[in-house]
Order: sequence, then structure tokens, then C-alpha cells
Amino acid sequence: MPINPEAWKVGLDHYLYLSSLLFIFGMLGVLMRRNVIVILMCIELMLNAVNISFIAFSRYAESTNGQVMVFFVMTIAAAEAAVGLALAVTVFKKFKEVNIRFFEHLKG
Amino acid sequence: MNPTELITLREFITVVPLCVLFFVSLIPLLIKPFLGGREPNPISVLVWNFLAILAAAGCTGALFGHSYQKTFAFSNAIVLDGTSVWMSYLVYIVTAVGIMLAYDHVATRGRQFTEFCFLMVSSACGMLVLIMSNDLIVTFIGIETMSLCLYILVAMSREQVLSKEAAFKYFVLGSFASAIFLYGIALVYGTVGSTYLPDVATQGVKLISTNRVFLVGAILLITGFAFKVSIFPFHTWTPDVYQGASTPVTAFMSTAVKAASFVAFLRFFTSEAFVAAPHLLTVMTWLAVLTMTVGNVAAILQNNFKRMLAYSSVAHSGYALVGLITAGFGTNYNAAATSLLFYLFSYSLMTLGTFALVAVFERSENTSLEINDLRGVGRKYPWLAMSMTVLMLSLAGIPPTLGFFGKFFVFSSAIEQDMYWLAFWGMINSVVSVYYYLRPIVVMYMSEGEAETLQIGLMTRGTVIVTGLLIVILGILSSPFFRMVQNSVMNQF
Repeated sequence: MPINPEAWKVGLDHYLYLSSLLFIFGMLGVLMRRNVIVILMCIELMLNAVNISFIAFSRYAESTNGQVMVFFVMTIAAAEAAVGLALAVTVFKKFKEVNIRFFEHLKG
Repeated sequence: MNPTELITLREFITVVPLCVLFFVSLIPLLIKPFLGGREPNPISVLVWNFLAILAAAGCTGALFGHSYQKTFAFSNAIVLDGTSVWMSYLVYIVTAVGIMLAYDHVATRGRQFTEFCFLMVSSACGMLVLIMSNDLIVTFIGIETMSLCLYILVAMSREQVLSKEAAFKYFVLGSFASAIFLYGIALVYGTVGSTYLPDVATQGVKLISTNRVFLVGAILLITGFAFKVSIFPFHTWTPDVYQGASTPVTAFMSTAVKAASFVAFLRFFTSEAFVAAPHLLTVMTWLAVLTMTVGNVAAILQNNFKRMLAYSSVAHSGYALVGLITAGFGTNYNAAATSLLFYLFSYSLMTLGTFALVAVFERSENTSLEINDLRGVGRKYPWLAMSMTVLMLSLAGIPPTLGFFGKFFVFSSAIEQDMYWLAFWGMINSVVSVYYYLRPIVVMYMSEGEAETLQIGLMTRGTVIVTGLLIVILGILSSPFFRMVQNSVMNQF
């Protein structure tokens, strides 16, 4: 039995599901992982998941605004990565390991 | 508007204060390489940065001082109205005071003072963008510019352990919140077709009850803002970061950042879209109540002075949220928005003064001030003690101080809109908060001890005394001041 070619089409919702799935993976990573570098990667993952949404909306709404926003987001993500890695270096210098389990001085 | 249209001079004028602030503050950074990488004289750095702030404030005053006409620029992405002008002044004041405190303080004085000042002023530029933005993506860029500078500022302390930990925690949670905020923007963009706030407002009225995606987007945006202004379930970073950061940075962070984020929150939240969502009102009301209660109860349990102030700042976010809810869901936008702006002003002044006082009594960068370290201040430093008393009474909201009138206007506008529940909890919480605000006063005057000040400059002491005086004077003159703010907000429409 031949499959209806319409069923193979990738629609807006597929992109949105993918984007929300990646976003949730990133979120879980930030909340559950203890390695600083992995946390930074997960934050990047979250931002790029949002980019997929922007591009998909932009494509299906036939407006270029969303694509312009992606450039802004990419710039911000790069700046954030730079700051985050710089902080990771200071953390490494102090604790000789990039892990948040040393963060126990501020409590209460 | 035609997107291919060139930027006109008139549009450019609206961001002149911002450009002036940024480029003049670059000068000390550019001088540094010519000195062979040695730190320039800190006084010259201070003077250049003051010059930048003064020039920017002058531009704001000269260009928009008297006519609070609403002007748009850059395809309506930037709006200039009374709210932006007033809040710009607040940002200038706080930044200037922040730099003064940093010059005097042991944790920030030193080899990297030039960079420190530059980052503080850049952060202020981000706040100006945030205050003026009328488009969600511009809001996002403002938030990020502001926060990225702050992450570094928190880490730039001589103190080695706490500040690094605080900076990293702030960075992770801040970026997390930004990502959530951005996802909210994406969903709103997808459903509305634009990120321009008035478009979101007009289309949101229908969408909020019919379109789940828009609702989720709006909730994500509110969550992002709630992180930035430390509202109840998202407030946990506040005490850690405020304690770990050096005191000048904490003073800057707890006032300007909060005020600027609240203004952006106000611009987003007062779109009519949310009036159509009664559930959201219930949720926001409970968030406000819980924020106030959690902040106040946690503050009672603290012995560390900065931590106590951090929780008190969470509680104050709750009071400000009352103003925000009244502005968003009520019918009288002007009164509520004015009371919120007035509240942010009064809160910023009081908090600046209090953190300046903390800076005076910190012995070194590695010890943090406990409330009991204030023993004997009353006898030894009567002027500081008096200012401190005024500041604490004002934070607690006791008349005739500015803090009282701030709360009074917020709660009375809530009552006018029949939001008795919010006003009731606000009052109860004010009463609870008196307990922990009076504790430092009791310790200062009633117990014997040897409080010591650092070899700290005149500017920090001056800040404490001037804010103390201002709070009393502006408290007495509060109704003309309130009317001034109200006139500027009114002309928005």
C-alpha cells in the first residue's frame, strides 16, 4: 500500500516540537549537570533551540523578521559564551576543577 | 514604516544620551594602553566617568527635559516618554553613586578600576536600552547588555571565593532566565507575527483566551522578568549574589537593575492583553503576596547584614509587584504606573544609602558585615547612625520618610482599584518588616561595642548622609514630587 505523500511533509509543528524538545533537554542539563562546561553547553543549546523556533515561524509566516532576530540571538549567545568561559577559568583557578560542587559558601 | 528608510537625524537624537554615555566612558579605557597598560590615576578615571554621566544626563535634560511628548524611533522599537526620562535620571544617579562607592571600597579599588567603571557604565547603557525599548527583541538585548556586564562586575572583586561563586551562580541563573525569556519572545512572535509591544497588546486580547501558544509565551516572558526582579519562586539567587558581590556592585545591582527591569516589565505587562486573563491576575496576586511574605520572613532569620538586605529587597519586589499588577489589571493606568515609578525611586534611594553604610563598616574585603558588628556605632559615629536610622525607618515605611509615601501611593492605588487583598497583605508585611529593620537600630544605640570603620573616603560617608537627608526632604515634599512624575507619565497617551 503506497503511503500518502502528504503524510511525509514536515510542517511548522514538527519544527516547534523539535525546538521545544531541545529546549527542555538544555533546561534539564542546566538543572542537573554539575560540570561548569556542560552547563555552558546546555545554555547554548537552549538559545539555539529558540533559534529553530524563530526560523520556523519566520519561514511559515513568510516574514524575514524572525531571521534577523536569530542574528541578534547568535551575537548575544557568543557574548554569553565568552563571559561564561571567562568565569569558568576563574572558577578553575580557584578550585582546580570546573565543578559546581565547590559552591557551598553562600547559604542561608 | 518602510524598513528600507534610512535612519533620520531625529531618530538618532533619541539615543544620543546613550551614545554619549558609552563613548565618553570609553576614554579612560583608551588612555590605559598609552600608559603602557598601567592603571591611570583613579581620580582621572572617576572624573571621566562622571563627565560621561553628566554629559548624558545633560543630553537627556536638554533634549527631553520639559516636553514629555511620546516620540518613537528606529521603526518604533525605541520609545521616549516621561517614564523613560525619569528612569534614565535614576540610572544616572545610581551609576554615579555606584562608581563613587567603588572608588572608596577596598574590594574594588585597585588594578582594574578603569575596566570596572567602564563595565558599570556599559551596564547602565543596557539599562537605558531596556527602559526605552518598545519591542521585545530590543528588551532582550537591553537585558543581556545589562546582565553580561554585571556578571563580570560581580566577579571583579579582590575577595576570591565568595565573589567567584556568586558570579557563576548569577551567570548560570541569569542566562537560564534569559533563555526562557527568549523562548517566550519566539512564541509570542510566532502567534502575533511581530515583537512590537503595541501589536502584542492589540492582538493579545483575543489570543490570550484562544491561543495556548501565546499564553505559554506570555507566561515564559513573565517568568523571565520574574527572575530578573527576583519574584518569589525565582528569587533564590538574590541573597547569594547580593552577599557574594562586593558592596558597591550590590548597591548598583539591587537598585538600578531592579528599577530598569521593572520598567520593562511594566511596558510589557500593561498591554491590555492581560486584562482578558483573570487566571493570570490570581496567579500574579499570589506571587506578589508570597514574594512579600517570603522576603520578610527570611529576612528576620538573617544575621548577615547584606543577606538581610537582600531578602528585604525581595520583599520590596513584592511591594513593587503590587503596583505593577494594579497598573496592568486596573482601570486607572496613570495613577498606578506613577505610584510604581515613585516607589522604584524611593526604594533605590533608600537601598543605595543602606549599602553605602554597609561599605563604611566592612573591615576588609574578606569579612562580611554581621548585624552585631554595628554595636556602639551610635556613640562613636552619631551622624552615620542617625542617617542609618532614617534609612531603616524609611525601608520599614514609617512616616514622614520617602519609603512611607512610596508604599502609601502603591497601596492606595491598589485600594482604588478594589484590590483589597493585595493592599491587605502589603500592610501586614510592612508591619512584619519593622521587626528586622529596627534590629540594626537597636544594636547601634543600645549595645556597647567597638564598631570600626575602614579607612574609607568621604564619598561613601557623604552618600549615607545625603541619602538620609534626601529621604526626609523628599518625604516631606512627596506630593509635589509625585505630581511631577504623574504629569510626565500622563502625557504618554
